[in-house]
Amino acid sequence: MKVLNQQTKPLTIGETIIDVDGLVKQYGSFTAVKGIHFQVKKGEVFGLLGPNGAGKTTTMEMIEGLRQPDGGTAKVAGYDTKTELRRVKEVIGVQLQSTSLFDLLTVKEILTMYASFYTHSIPVEPLLKRVLLEEKMNDRVKHLSGGQKQRLAIAMALVNDPQVVFLDEPTTGLDPQARRTLWDIILGLKEQGKTVVLSTHYMDEAHILCDRICLMDQGEIIALDTPRNLVKSLQSDSAIEFRLPELESLPESEKTNILSMLQSVEGVKSVDERKDTFILYTDLLQPSLIDLIKKAAESGINFTDLATRTATLEDVFIHMTGRSLREE
Amino acid sequence: MMKAYIQLTVSQLRVFSRNRQVLFWTLMFPVFLMVMLGSFVGGGGGVSYAGALINLDKSTQSIQLTDALLKLETVQFESDRTEEEALDALRNGELELVVIIPVGYGESLSAGISAAEIKAIYDQTKTMQSEVALLALSQTVDSLSKAIVQYEPVVVVKTEGIQSLQLEYIDFLVPGIVAMMIMSNNLNGVSGQIASWRERGILRRMQSTPLQASTFIAGQITARLVLNGLQATVVLLIASLIFDTQVNGSWALLMLFVILGTLTFMAIGFIIAGVAKSPESAGPIAGFISFPLLFLGGVFFPISNMPEVIQPYVKLLPISHLSTALRQVMNVGADLSVLWFDALLLGGWMIVAFIIASFTFKWE
Repeated sequence: MKVLNQQTKPLTIGETIIDVDGLVKQYGSFTAVKGIHFQVKKGEVFGLLGPNGAGKTTTMEMIEGLRQPDGGTAKVAGYDTKTELRRVKEVIGVQLQSTSLFDLLTVKEILTMYASFYTHSIPVEPLLKRVLLEEKMNDRVKHLSGGQKQRLAIAMALVNDPQVVFLDEPTTGLDPQARRTLWDIILGLKEQGKTVVLSTHYMDEAHILCDRICLMDQGEIIALDTPRNLVKSLQSDSAIEFRLPELESLPESEKTNILSMLQSVEGVKSVDERKDTFILYTDLLQPSLIDLIKKAAESGINFTDLATRTATLEDVFIHMTGRSLREE
Repeated sequence: MMKAYIQLTVSQLRVFSRNRQVLFWTLMFPVFLMVMLGSFVGGGGGVSYAGALINLDKSTQSIQLTDALLKLETVQFESDRTEEEALDALRNGELELVVIIPVGYGESLSAGISAAEIKAIYDQTKTMQSEVALLALSQTVDSLSKAIVQYEPVVVVKTEGIQSLQLEYIDFLVPGIVAMMIMSNNLNGVSGQIASWRERGILRRMQSTPLQASTFIAGQITARLVLNGLQATVVLLIASLIFDTQVNGSWALLMLFVILGTLTFMAIGFIIAGVAKSPESAGPIAGFISFPLLFLGGVFFPISNMPEVIQPYVKLLPISHLSTALRQVMNVGADLSVLWFDALLLGGWMIVAFIIASFTFKWE
């Protein structure tokens, strides 16, 4: 850290710590990341949200220097990931999506080993306390639960006291309890002033943890804002969701009629449609609902699975892509 | 990065020592082979060949000769076969030599007019074995005929040096087993482990730290040198306890060759790990390389027993020089002035393999 301070003055909260400028990654003829731009500010939790294959992991790994971009540049704390990779590696901490650890080493041994790879590292035992693994310190990695392994992976990402921590889908595959424990740890990182770049395909997680969310789909950024503003961009508070199972069998003209009928429902601002599911967005939930049921009865439509809810990031994604986050 | 190097070495040694099953079986296999082959093939009687002795004469003189021949250790004669049975056995390869004392042997000896003759029948396709057997036979016959004519030699050859060592098959086998262990542990161990670490993302995780590949490899090498050195010592100690084998040369030179062999086969293991697309394919590739080397490289049989056409090629293999050098140090007590070529050739293999490995090595 001393070496770094001589080179660059420490950043203050809110200054740009990651600068991604036109990153491109190609695998053969397939373009995984299509020239994206964004900045991450020091001290924020920055979320990359998108379905599988959106390019989240590839983007993160290009910033971490694990993959060479085919175009564009990425800078972390002022260091270019192409030309100053060693310096970048000293100031970042990484948790990869699919790292398995050395099963036969103990928690403390593996953390001590990773600490030795850095010129500057922090004491291991307080770190284990922070990720609630103090009692498991002398247990072998293979005896840990999934959640404990993920917490160890996060401790490994923190062992060099990094400025930026990259967490790639840290809660995937964990039970709800373990997810919440991990959320608390991530929020704790924010309190310490660490910048966190987090990828996830859980919108609730993104909503709770992230200061800003970068919504990605098919290698492109489709929206970047605070969770609040993203939901607000829908210009509606509530969503009414239902299915029309017989829609597929109806003639095209009938479908158009149904759509225009739905758009005419009182208070509805927009209608999203994918397969046989419709979502109506409205600020006036009750009048819209009453009007919908009335109009549906008049046109002889039978809907199923009717549900109402507050609009979420999922709706933002559906609204922008016409697809759900969970679809492949 | 001294502390990273030390940590990686210590961690790898911990992994080795905690992986009891692998540790046990990688040591068990050579020890088992050694004990099995050593007990059965060695037979306690040194390198010996089977022969049949047929005494058709039955005179005092011929019995004197058969007694002398039956005492031979190099050729184990048996005298209960008929001529026909014995010749069949010779053709089948059961016997190396059939000796027939013809009728009239005793008479012609007592008459002393011309030299008495005995007949030795051998299989000329088995050059080496029959030559050794014939040599033993002629020596016995020679000393017997000298005794009969009361011949006093005026010049004697005093034998000394390597011929004075009592070498048995087990002495040949143990260095070969050590060479085999070094080869298979490193080829299979390195390629399997690295390929699996790569697939499981362990290498990628390390790559995201400032750790350099050279530090990582140095740690691997050191840990494996310690492991192989210990394993070689254990095998040699067991051999010395059970079979009373000796290390006639210097232990330091022996360990130097253990180190050279370990490094060479580790480098080849790294190449396999680089070529293998998955940990599952690393095993068969390592097997494809190590299995033929086991039989060609002088581990179980001397290279000189092989067809002459392939001998020049076999002599280029690293395992040949490792097993030869270990054998020379242990059996004959050879020093580097004799073994420099083996050391050089192994060293050459090591350097070339490391250069190739550095090009084929991939973190992911």
